Amino acid sequence: MKILELNNISKSFGAIKALDNVTLSLRSGEVLGLMGDNGAGKSTLIKIIAGNFKQSSGTINFENQKVEFSKPMEARDKGIEVVYQDLALCDNLTAASNIFLTREIKRNFGLIKIINFSEMFKRAKDIFKDLKSETLPDEEVKMMSGGQRQAVAIGRTKLSKAKVVLLDEPTAAISVRQVAEVLELIKQLKNQGIAVVIISHRMPDVFAVSDRIAVLRRGQLVANKLAKESSPEEVTALITGAIEKA
Amino acid sequence: MTEQTLEKNKKKIKISNLHEIGLLIALILVLLLFSFTTENFFTQRNFTSILRSASYVGLIAFPMTFVLITREIDISVGPSVAWSGLFFVILIKWYDFSYFSSAAIVILWGILLGYFIGIARTKLFIPTFITTLALWSALRGYSLFVTEGRPIAISNKEFRYLFGGDILGLPTVTWIMLGAFLVFWFASKYTVTGTNFYAVGGNPKAARNIGINVDRVKILALIGTSLFAAIVGILFVARVSSGNANLADGMEFDVIAAVVVGGTALGGAVGTMTGTLLGCVFIAMISNGLIHWGIDPDLNKVVKGIIIFLAVVINSNVTFKSNSGGPKED
Repeated sequence: MKILELNNISKSFGAIKALDNVTLSLRSGEVLGLMGDNGAGKSTLIKIIAGNFKQSSGTINFENQKVEFSKPMEARDKGIEVVYQDLALCDNLTAASNIFLTREIKRNFGLIKIINFSEMFKRAKDIFKDLKSETLPDEEVKMMSGGQRQAVAIGRTKLSKAKVVLLDEPTAAISVRQVAEVLELIKQLKNQGIAVVIISHRMPDVFAVSDRIAVLRRGQLVANKLAKESSPEEVTALITGAIEKA
Repeated sequence: MTEQTLEKNKKKIKISNLHEIGLLIALILVLLLFSFTTENFFTQRNFTSILRSASYVGLIAFPMTFVLITREIDISVGPSVAWSGLFFVILIKWYDFSYFSSAAIVILWGILLGYFIGIARTKLFIPTFITTLALWSALRGYSLFVTEGRPIAISNKEFRYLFGGDILGLPTVTWIMLGAFLVFWFASKYTVTGTNFYAVGGNPKAARNIGINVDRVKILALIGTSLFAAIVGILFVARVSSGNANLADGMEFDVIAAVVVGGTALGGAVGTMTGTLLGCVFIAMISNGLIHWGIDPDLNKVVKGIIIFLAVVINSNVTFKSNSGGPKED
């Protein structure tokens, strides 16, 4: 089932055309690797899907219905979650508190609302179990490895029954071993029927998890094909322009 | 859960309580030291006196803990206490307000002052250190100008008895302080508002991305210190039966020293109300003990200066070790 369809999306910032007539769709349980050089339009595309920017022209369909997001909260409510490159974690809080930040589970005693930590720890534990991550809900994030930090950031997307998860450079600046952990997390999301878009510069990581590869060059979609029918060499050539289109 | 993570978890629990346990031990050592070296230190009367001064400081130190956690500071609390007390007395003596309505106006003043500091910080981007330094000077100066440096006396036995005396063997202000401690302790541990102070101090950018209203959280913390400075101003009047422009001289130092000695990091993000409570008692006990030793009050300030310096050294070492340089590699 197609969950997200982008039809002829263009975006201009003044005289600069960041995206030019991009048509792309995404199925549930599919991992799409979005690649391209700096300034190719990857982040602009993600920000349009997440409700940070509005497209200049073109339409977006979500679950076969036309949608228009004017702010990130609206996209979040529909089930589109973003994991930011810097993860947006508070080091001095526990993993569970980070996951539930602004969405804390509370018990009401009249006017007083008390955070229900035991329920939050329980739910966070289940989330980490789902993600097959060895992360302790009651541990402070500052004690954690890069892979565990990713698990906490991705754990947030599990609170709202996310249908589409957008990951911005999830494997930048972490060690080789942690990269394996993060790629495992992405596979978990896929197995649960969630559609994933991963932006990355790291070719091996993208090929390790992606079903399909899309390449942007100067705002235009120059490739959109199954990963197994492509190769890192071809994608590199597409990114640099050595191959015009594939 | 592996052996390794279990082990790591145990270590973490130790570190987070290390400061409070260390401070408690230091407190007991200081207590024993003064008890054995002076005649009148270990008496009920003296303990009441220590508790009383720890309580005035504590009432402002609890909200100050939240202010420091959110990476801000309020150094205007001493002059703010003096002016609030004076304002309270002026409303009663010069303008014939009732005690109740005067107290209400002074409390409202405290809230507005904190709101002003918060707006200056979040909308005009003026560091709280600068705004409160300006207020530190302005509030003391205006208090001296209005009174020409002379105290304004009031006489009301009920008011004095009710708020300046003792209940069940403990100073009234100590009961109020303990009540405030429970509220602040509870808020810091079990409420969304409390969590938001820590989140904003831990990573303001992330807190904003996630959807926390960072400005509102900071303004709320700053209203806390100004509000409690106003309350302490009124309680001081009940104790000494007058408003005095020179009151609470250097109190901002005692408050911030107590919070920092209690383990709150000046850089924000880290701190507990229990630590602050112990810090208040510690500072009050040292000040009191030094007087019993017959040390000159001016030298007393030198000792306090050394203590706050040592506390920050110990504090930053503990914090550094428990962080060991941010996210660890596995």
